[in-house]
Amino acid sequence: MTHLFTQAYQQAPWRLQIQRIGGFLVALVAVVIVAGVYLSISAQTATAGLEIQTLERERESLNRMIADRRAKLAELTSAGVMSQRAAELGFVRPDMSTAIYMVIPGYQGRQPVMIAPPPTSDNLPSPIIKQSYRQSLWEWFFEGVLGSGTGGY
Amino acid sequence: MSRLFTRIRIIGFFFALMGALILFQMVRIQTNVNAQKMSESIEEQYGTIVRTIYPERGNIYDRWGHLLAGNKDVYEIGIALNEVENPDTLATVLSSVLELNYGEVYEKANLEYIEGVQSYIVVADFVSADKVNELSALYEQYEKDRAKAKGNQTVQSLRGLHYVGHLQRSYPENSLASNILGFYNYKDREGATGFYGVEEKYNDLLAGNPVKITLPRDPTLIEDVPNVPPGSSLVLTIDREIQAMAERKIDEAVENTGAQSGTAIIMDPNNGEILAMAVTPRMNPNEYWDYGNVFTDNTPFNRALSETYEPGSVFKVLTMAAALDSGTVTPDTSFVDTGSIYVGGYYIYNWDRGAWGPQDMTGCMQHSLNVCLSWIATEMGPTKFYSYMQAFGIGRRTNIDLAGEQIWPLSLPGDKDWYEVNLATNSFGQGVATTPIQMAMAISAVANNQGIMYAPHVLQAYIQDGKQYNTPPVAVGAPISAETAKTLSEMLAVSLESESSVALVPGYRLAGKTGTGEIPSAGGYETDLTNTSFVGWGPVDDPKFLVYIWLEKPTSDRWGSTVAAPVFSDIVKELVALLNLPPDETRKQLSGQ
Repeated sequence: MTHLFTQAYQQAPWRLQIQRIGGFLVALVAVVIVAGVYLSISAQTATAGLEIQTLERERESLNRMIADRRAKLAELTSAGVMSQRAAELGFVRPDMSTAIYMVIPGYQGRQPVMIAPPPTSDNLPSPIIKQSYRQSLWEWFFEGVLGSGTGGY
Repeated sequence: MSRLFTRIRIIGFFFALMGALILFQMVRIQTNVNAQKMSESIEEQYGTIVRTIYPERGNIYDRWGHLLAGNKDVYEIGIALNEVENPDTLATVLSSVLELNYGEVYEKANLEYIEGVQSYIVVADFVSADKVNELSALYEQYEKDRAKAKGNQTVQSLRGLHYVGHLQRSYPENSLASNILGFYNYKDREGATGFYGVEEKYNDLLAGNPVKITLPRDPTLIEDVPNVPPGSSLVLTIDREIQAMAERKIDEAVENTGAQSGTAIIMDPNNGEILAMAVTPRMNPNEYWDYGNVFTDNTPFNRALSETYEPGSVFKVLTMAAALDSGTVTPDTSFVDTGSIYVGGYYIYNWDRGAWGPQDMTGCMQHSLNVCLSWIATEMGPTKFYSYMQAFGIGRRTNIDLAGEQIWPLSLPGDKDWYEVNLATNSFGQGVATTPIQMAMAISAVANNQGIMYAPHVLQAYIQDGKQYNTPPVAVGAPISAETAKTLSEMLAVSLESESSVALVPGYRLAGKTGTGEIPSAGGYETDLTNTSFVGWGPVDDPKFLVYIWLEKPTSDRWGSTVAAPVFSDIVKELVALLNLPPDETRKQLSGQ
């Protein structure tokens, strides 16, 4: 009787085989997916890193360009160049003995120049690279999913 | 059937074995000691690059924000020897565009590539961006031509050519204010530093701090590149327009009078700010290597603070200030000038050897009577006299924030080179040597009606980490009282008006003093040539400027009243417009509103 029940409810050998093969394949696919995600993230990280390096070089180049433009502008508006241009346009230096001082209501004259803002309370700079970009998948998994949730932002 | 299953099992076993062997080999390579050593060695050699980041040198601005010293973008041109395809093209193009020697470039382009020893050769530096753009355009053109070329056709190629950008110091105003700025020897890229003026005095502030960083080549190992802030920028007290005007006027004066050199200092006596400091000669700091040709025979870079001379009668301002402040005399004290006075075994005479009869103190200053001032000094006595002179800073540095200040020590009673007659001669500015900036600082205590001396300075503010920090004026002494200052200013204004001096400017009440200093020589003093000076300030009731003029050894005339005084007037006529100073009457009307 027991033998008959076992025989009635035992799965066919080919079913067991397929189940084992299926289980193995599922595990393999999971590993491949994880590896794929890891590779994808690494590739994106490398791409971002290269972009950052390119942007760093571009920033340096732009800073040099800014300095260069500032110097060129100063050359174009230098005292010597402006005097020459004025002379070419027909302006002459006035005879100061004939100059008349005119009072213009509301005109306050040149104001002191502030090339940069005065010192105030400083805002602490935020980090350039977010913590979440530094985390590996394992760190993200253990901290972000399982644990304290203190990683990244 | 069982045979089929056996074969399948054998094939399965074979594939599983292959997989296991591959896995085994992977693990073996990863864990092999030699492989790890090689990996570490590669990591060490090629894993990181060390870079030194040189911050941009700080800019220098005038008080209104005009750039006086900045930086411009230039390029180093080099050849990577392992990339060269056509040395002839490189040599031809570089000799044509950059005006280099064809043979030298060809030789460099043909050098053998030796890894780690000879891989990159610099052919030119400080090349402008325009030239680099030209080279870049040619490079692109040749690459396009290469794409169209067929088979073994020889193509022109600039492969191997590289350019690296960096900054070069630039002075957009050329020689304007060059005596104040100094220069930066930018061609020495590793060891460049500032020389003279502001560039030397504030070199550490301007230069910033280079930072050496190690950057990983692996782009996945992102690290924060440290932010290297540029060197601090400086805002000077100098007014570009006033500086340009003063330089123009002093150049004209030197030419018209045949003087050996000219110096003009324009300062605000209320706070010591230098608005202009025009000196001859001047050089273009963009071509700083020309220094030796411009400053010959030990000529100082900035006479205003580096050359001492016997100032002559402008020094009488200090003697009279001391006498009034100490109560030795009052403006109404009477002195009978007999034309000479006997002090310390010598007779002292007036400038014209004349006797001027009864004079009050204003008259003594107006007629610049050496005899009267000598008498005043003897009445004060050496202790009091020299105490005041030291309080005025004579014989001491002003500590102006420019490199190269010189002084001549003041001889005092008890010194080996002090004689009793010095008390008399010093009273009218002979036998004592000062720089123009020392005189300007000392007399500013009279000019500002406060009796307070402020440290002369050219730095108004500095910009660091994006913030501007203003530097307040510093009072360095109070040699006389405010009342004495006002009294003496009034006396000198009256004496100037009474003299109908060429120093006067219509509409503005000014005070001042001429000076004609004899020049010491081996046998005493030179007879033909003098140092002519004038110091003046105004408006007397609300002073905004002090102007000090020195023309060295003019040949047109020997007197300060005819040589230096007109220069003062010429400068002040334009100065009041540049400072937007209304005439006294208008100013009083406006302030009364």
